[in-house]
Amino acid sequence: MTTATTGKRPLGAVGRVLARREARVALLFVLPAFLLFLAFRFGPSIAGVALSLFDYDITGEIAWRGLDHFQRLVADPLFWRAMGTTVVYTVFAVPISLVLSTVMALGVRRAFRGSRFFRSIFFLPVITSLVLAGSIFVWIFSANGPWSALMSPLGLGGSWLGSTVLVIPAIIVVGVWSRFGYGMMILIAAMQDVPRELEEAALMDGANAWQRFRSIILPHLRPTFFFLAVIETTAAFQVFDVIYVMTQGGPANASYSLVYLLYDQGFKYFDYGYAAAVGVALFAMTLVVALVQRLVIGKQR
Amino acid sequence: MRVSKFTGVAAGIAAAALLAGCSAGGGQASSGEKHVTLWMYPVVADEATNKSFWDDTIAAFEKEHKDITVDYEIFPWANRDEALQTAIAAGKGPDLVYLVPDQLAAYKKSIAPMNDLLSAERQKDLLPNVKDSVTIDGDLMAAPVLTSAQPLVCNAAVFQQAGVAEYPKTWDDVKRLAPTFAAKGFSMLNYPASAENTLNMTFYPVLWQAGGEVYDKDGGVGFDSEAGEKALTFLTDLATAKALDPEALTTNVPLEQTAIAQGKVACTFNNAVTEVAPFWGKENVKVLPPLKGEKSVAYGTVGSLAVLKGSKAPEAAAAFAEYATGADVVKPFLTAAGYFSALSTTEPLYADDPLLGEVEKYVPDTTVGQLATSSRALMGVLSPEIQAALLGQKSPADALKDAAAAAAPILKK
Repeated sequence: MTTATTGKRPLGAVGRVLARREARVALLFVLPAFLLFLAFRFGPSIAGVALSLFDYDITGEIAWRGLDHFQRLVADPLFWRAMGTTVVYTVFAVPISLVLSTVMALGVRRAFRGSRFFRSIFFLPVITSLVLAGSIFVWIFSANGPWSALMSPLGLGGSWLGSTVLVIPAIIVVGVWSRFGYGMMILIAAMQDVPRELEEAALMDGANAWQRFRSIILPHLRPTFFFLAVIETTAAFQVFDVIYVMTQGGPANASYSLVYLLYDQGFKYFDYGYAAAVGVALFAMTLVVALVQRLVIGKQR
Repeated sequence: MRVSKFTGVAAGIAAAALLAGCSAGGGQASSGEKHVTLWMYPVVADEATNKSFWDDTIAAFEKEHKDITVDYEIFPWANRDEALQTAIAAGKGPDLVYLVPDQLAAYKKSIAPMNDLLSAERQKDLLPNVKDSVTIDGDLMAAPVLTSAQPLVCNAAVFQQAGVAEYPKTWDDVKRLAPTFAAKGFSMLNYPASAENTLNMTFYPVLWQAGGEVYDKDGGVGFDSEAGEKALTFLTDLATAKALDPEALTTNVPLEQTAIAQGKVACTFNNAVTEVAPFWGKENVKVLPPLKGEKSVAYGTVGSLAVLKGSKAPEAAAAFAEYATGADVVKPFLTAAGYFSALSTTEPLYADDPLLGEVEKYVPDTTVGQLATSSRALMGVLSPEIQAALLGQKSPADALKDAAAAAAPILKK
């Protein structure tokens, strides 16, 4: 018995996609971004992990250190202090930012006279340079600034940036101020997808605003909340610029974050290997938190 | 979906262009002559004066050295180490760069020692304390441009308002006079304790005055000593007695917003007379010897030009460094910046200036302290602990002990 052959091998799934001319062109369009991603994101990340196992000098000298940097990290009180500061900042800044983003999004999601203006105003901090804003916040939180005057009746006057207790709340205020507009815009977009008739039906059934939000809007927003929680948590773990401009990690290391430790070790003390180890620890921590968030929020979608 | 041929070709070109962009490197044109690049900073605050000095100096040097051309770039002080180390790591560093002693220690491996690059005559002319400040492990690391001194400077107007006629000479004087100033609403001393302030101008002079050192003889932690505790206790006692400006202990604000500028502080050992004179009035600036604990000693920085190992023309770079730091050439630069000569044969620059002339007298007695590669990292762990002690969160002994523990892995390297 003979078997007839066509002379062509059957195409696999990838082959079938590539056989389409549009797909090939699409891949060409994707290629630059993909290569840039490899070169500037993936490559440095791998190099960073590798660097954490070496001592590297700006003169090019390199020496194998194995896990020495990680052992030093575990024993370094400054690392744990920076970790504590970063976690406290994240635990407060992320939920506050998400709640504020939601409240603001609910306030301006429908078109009304001035809604665009308010959306722009609320989004403005996102595109404002934190270096510039930070300088102004330094004055706002100073002993003679308006924040001190506002808080004096509560017994919380004086310089917040000069207080080892109040400096983190001050950093959280600025961090939330600079981020909530981004979450607000994402949530406004997500809220546009909530069927209006559902809300109207609930209104006719006598549901109040809270009930409509909880039973109709919130379930629709769960995927968006998951996305924002991951993005905001990642950003919060990497808090640096606000601290750099406003407190330089002080007073007495009270606002010293993990990325600040990384910056100091790498760029002030030239200890690149140790700085890379801090980066790896930060990455691991962010990854774990993102996975937990996926389990908690993502599962309920 | 139809995709035109043109779109496909465009995408391909875009990808190729981006790839080319990624791989493009900065080429160097071969000129045949020796070329020197210099990185400077705003040592002279007035940009036009600063530029004019370097333009004139380079023009005069190039006239004498036809085979050498010099380029310079003035970088801001802020983040200067990031820019420099990135450039060195990328092999794009300058031939010559302005560095202070802490940096000389930090960049030691990247610097070409000038033992054989700077003339013996010039090396002999350097002030002994200045030469020590730029010498590491027996190697002369740079050609000194300038030096400074930070003696005690007091505000005569504050003394008058507080009804104090006597100026402090010793720690005991400070402790005795402090309550009088505090009772009148003045702080006795300025002590900026936030992380941005170098300990060279704050804690280290007090430590030296107590007879202590930052490092011990073996290069280990030296501040965790009886003298260290004595120095920090002196400061924490002053803080408790409200003799230190509380704002300066925690925050770093522009000079004009500080208590020292606003005439609320009696004395300082971390501000230059040129800084305070515009606020206090020249007539109120009183220059005094450095305070005495066990001994009287003050910090004085040294600015220098270092040749980097990556230089393709180290001899030419050193020739320019020697020329630019020569007594006559550098004089207008020093007087414009309010600094002092690093050379022993130079006549006093400020003989006619009652303030700088007085400060100039202390120049030969200043120090930059011990030079070590870890000096900046050590400050990073010590500074917050000192601040914690000053804020009453830790005892001086505990603060120094914790700082010493945090410093151990840094010194091990």
